[in-house]
Amino acid sequence: MSELAPRYSATSLLRARFSRDYWRPLWRRTKPKDAYDVVVVGGGGHGLATAFHLARDHGLKRVSVLERKVIGYGNVGRNTTIVRSNYLLPENFHFYEDSLRRYETLSRDLNYNVMYSSRGVVDLANSDDEMVLYARRGNAMRLGGIDAELLDRAGLRRFMPELNPDLPRRYPIVGGLLQRRGGTVRHDAVAWGYARAAAALGVDIVEECEVTGLVTAGGVATGVETSQGFVRAERVVFAVAGHTGSIGRMLGVPLPVETHLLQAMVTEPVKPLVHTVVSYMYGHAEVYLSQSDRGGLVMGGVLDGYPSYTREPEWHRLEEVVQGAVAMFPQVAGLRILRHWAGTNDQTMDGSPLVGRLKYDNVFLNGGWCYGGFKAIPASGAACATLVATGSAPDLIRGFALERFATGHVLDEKGAGPFPVRQ
Amino acid sequence: MTHLRCPFCGVRPVEEFSFHKTLPNVAGGPFADTFLRSDDPQDSHEHWQHRLGCRAWLLTRRNPSTGEVLELRLLGGAAS
Repeated sequence: MSELAPRYSATSLLRARFSRDYWRPLWRRTKPKDAYDVVVVGGGGHGLATAFHLARDHGLKRVSVLERKVIGYGNVGRNTTIVRSNYLLPENFHFYEDSLRRYETLSRDLNYNVMYSSRGVVDLANSDDEMVLYARRGNAMRLGGIDAELLDRAGLRRFMPELNPDLPRRYPIVGGLLQRRGGTVRHDAVAWGYARAAAALGVDIVEECEVTGLVTAGGVATGVETSQGFVRAERVVFAVAGHTGSIGRMLGVPLPVETHLLQAMVTEPVKPLVHTVVSYMYGHAEVYLSQSDRGGLVMGGVLDGYPSYTREPEWHRLEEVVQGAVAMFPQVAGLRILRHWAGTNDQTMDGSPLVGRLKYDNVFLNGGWCYGGFKAIPASGAACATLVATGSAPDLIRGFALERFATGHVLDEKGAGPFPVRQ
Repeated sequence: MTHLRCPFCGVRPVEEFSFHKTLPNVAGGPFADTFLRSDDPQDSHEHWQHRLGCRAWLLTRRNPSTGEVLELRLLGGAAS
């Protein structure tokens, strides 16, 4: 195998420009060693970020990430790349704000360009009543020190001239809630950047290594059984969102989570058309849309609507998302969809994540991210690493512990009740 | 999954149906019934409704890993 990519700098870029072999691997392929301080199960955004912070912030030298497929296969490469912190509940907006701030500097922290673009995130309102709800959410955010702006039609026209709010629509557009610092981040770069930075700190990234069981002795976990043999571990972290229910089954612990499909799609590239991230709820459906740097319109909607592991998206949901996009921007009606895919979502009973100890003192769960997985990665990695390294959860994620269901302190952002499909 | 077979209306597109919830499968009383599920990737017991059709409530058993419907009958009715 050729040499690894160097630390990036102006000099390294210049050198690469005149070099013949500048495509170099970002991390070394490895087999699992016999024993580790921490084994992180799942090489998605959360697993990689957790491993990175364990190595960088807590100085742990023997850490590995075991990934069943390859880095970037799962939800870290299947989301719609949106980052924002426009939540209503303090536990959520403080956490996602921490994450957004980390995204702002992530390219520097990882020495890898993740293409953070603070292009703004706008939620469109269909009615005056909805404006009241948006004002409530915006005020909650501002009280928490986060930027939020309520836009009326005139404000909307000024902020996004590409949208004509006055067109006759079945669900009219009367205003919106804007978070200017929200935007998009290139999701593959987040996975690769964390993997590269973690590997550079000595983390073993093991691909195509499926964990099939947890081995315990005397009430503590001693390691994991994998497709590449037994791996001893002082501590085990499960970061397998989308399959957290399977971990519960593996450990014999029923969890407040179900697996649902969430789909996304991208059109053929076109010239700059939409300069922000815009989300439009109409009737029971929803579309969120942004334009990638290559020019494709990236769109997503709500869950397919029933538990599934198939990763085969429903066609009628695609139709609904496209209808919403055309209702917002009639000129996109002629575009062709290039790709259409689904990811498996952990959907919890209150719509908020599950981070904390799981059954054993040295086993930790990081999952249940519902719609918020990608935007949570940097904060989740840092906080989860602190939890694993010190044994106590930082304030930022204390509200996400599993015990909240028993004590009644659920974080039901939407007020939907214990129905994962509605969260 | 593209179609479901309604006991009254026959084979209809899945978008006419709406999934309501998975059924409790963990012992532990009302708390477990409400909040906890034991994940079975091959067998999920659910309530659905033929909401945009005859509005009948249905009891289903599906395999969430393949989308195959293992059993579907009228809620409260006899197995067919």
